[in-house]
Amino acid sequence: MSIASLLGSQPFSDLNFRVRPPVLIPRPETEEWVVKLSQLLSPSKLAVSRPLSLLDLGTGTGCIPILLCHIWAKGGVRAHGIDISSDAVQLANENAVSCGLSPDQFNAVRANFLSPEFLSSLSHHLAPPFDIVTSNPPYISWDEYLRLPASVVRHEDPKALFGGPSGLEFYRAIAWLCSREGFLSPRALVALEIGCNQAAAVQDIMQAAGFATEVWRDAWGKERTIIARRPFV
Amino acid sequence: MLRVVERRMVERSQVQSQLSEDLSSPDDIPRLRQLKDTEILKSAWEEWNANKKLVEELTPFLQDPDETMRKLAEEDNIRISESLARILSETFPSLLVPRSSAADLPGALLELKSGVGGIESSLFLATLLRMYERFASLNKWKVNSLSHNTNDGGGIKDVILEVKGEGAYDTLRWESGVHRVQRVPVTESGGRVHTSTVSAIVLPLLDEGDVRKEQLYSMDEVKLEVMRARGAGGQHVNKTESAIRLTHIPTGITVSMQDERSQHQNKRRAFQVLSARLMDQKITREIAERRAARNSLVKSADRSEKIRTYNYAQERVTDHRIGLSIMNLSSVLDGDALLDITNALKQDHAQRVMEEMLAGEGDATDL
Ligand SMILES: C[S@@+](CC[C@H](N)C(=O)[O-])C[C@H]1O[C@@H](n2cnc3c(N)ncnc32)[C@H](O)[C@@H]1O
Repeated sequence: MSIASLLGSQPFSDLNFRVRPPVLIPRPETEEWVVKLSQLLSPSKLAVSRPLSLLDLGTGTGCIPILLCHIWAKGGVRAHGIDISSDAVQLANENAVSCGLSPDQFNAVRANFLSPEFLSSLSHHLAPPFDIVTSNPPYISWDEYLRLPASVVRHEDPKALFGGPSGLEFYRAIAWLCSREGFLSPRALVALEIGCNQAAAVQDIMQAAGFATEVWRDAWGKERTIIARRPFV
Repeated sequence: MLRVVERRMVERSQVQSQLSEDLSSPDDIPRLRQLKDTEILKSAWEEWNANKKLVEELTPFLQDPDETMRKLAEEDNIRISESLARILSETFPSLLVPRSSAADLPGALLELKSGVGGIESSLFLATLLRMYERFASLNKWKVNSLSHNTNDGGGIKDVILEVKGEGAYDTLRWESGVHRVQRVPVTESGGRVHTSTVSAIVLPLLDEGDVRKEQLYSMDEVKLEVMRARGAGGQHVNKTESAIRLTHIPTGITVSMQDERSQHQNKRRAFQVLSARLMDQKITREIAERRAARNSLVKSADRSEKIRTYNYAQERVTDHRIGLSIMNLSSVLDGDALLDITNALKQDHAQRVMEEMLAGEGDATDL
């Protein structure tokens, strides 16, 4: 059992997130790329007059959007998280409150982004286009899942980890969504966490959907994040 | 020394005469503060003068033809002389030595490292750690362990404590140096006494704001490394191994931190320790320069010096710097009698600074 699940909380940058099985405990790799992203982008740098709109797919504890809202100036971003697990949705909303965010800044709702009805099911205040899409989707393949350490399997939801037989199913769904007309704003950025050794495959998927991609390594030297944008035309 | 006190008293009355009549001028604030600061010195000075006068009045009676009269006068004379001596040797020095700026630091970092003696040294380190934790709680200081490495065979290899609270650095800095234990280790079957050592380093802890003000380092002088593989990392692993290592390139100081649960916290802690080390170097350098300029007699702390011995068979703790022995080992280890030692060390330091001040121009501003 990890320290985080014993204590019920996990520090994430300078915030503290409540954690509760079976919701996935935020990882240091995620912490790192989110902090890096927050420095690369900021509502003021993107120079839009309206608040930025951010969507986090598979939000879990809500750590990604909540930290970004926390770092970026108040009111500069409207963030939404969606998750298939009602445990996660509830926990993410609790975390937003305990991190001092208003429901205006961040809220989480239940939704399944693999479902064909996903787009039509989005309510009007969660409507596209989005300026930033983030996701740390389940990316563990079937083979790998069987070899995971007990502390992961026993306390964390398989739905949070298992990314289909190849571990890539969710990236295909995200690429499909992001290439829908009107889902992203023209200068939008997509940031996706990937499992080690998935960089090439995920870049292929995103490039096939018309994106230019870039890979970030984590502090341990592993390829960890794919940044995708529409190429300038 | 009386000259110094007298000068202070003249200054004090000058300040007093500068006060505006109704205390309405903003300049009065520092003046009042200065008056308040010297109030105790003033009453000591008055006591000194009153006693001096008594002695003068007594002197003729010491020659009194009447036997009982003479006896009485002699007794009084002894009592008064003792009190004069006490004022001169204790009260004045403690009041004249400038309040050390170390007293204003928010706290200290106390680092203990096992030295000679293998596991026995690590076991003794655990004992010292307990002693300092108790000592801190007696002083109402807050203790936070920043880094803690246990020894596989038992005991603790090294530890860094953050000790926060008033006077923590001022008191603990006397603990820097090599601590020696003489006892029969629990691991020794032959009943032979071993000598082992633990070294202690006490560093000044700064507020984050002060760190920025001091500009102890610039970010491009610091190399930051993340240590230890996490295997596949990410979703595959939910143990947080977030160790961080900093290297300050100009000085070669390295700091590793792995006890906190996030990388971010480890980074903060590591920078905190780095700042303390750099600040410590800076203070040492400044003191050395000042001493060189003054040809100082005050000895600087040498961290490789054996400062203290804990002898179990004799239930004795000896501080070698001042030759003080306390015949109650357990009370020292409980923190109580440690206070007697640190007080004696403080007083000894004050005494030396005082001597310095008398020899020089009375401007010793030693940390
Ligand atoms: C690897 S976790 C990441 C959680 C969090 N974003 C983080 O980085 O710590 C993946 C999350 O996706 C959610 N999820 C899995 N399948 C989903 C689906 N079809 N639709 C929406 N969310 C899903 C899981 O419940 C889980 O919370």
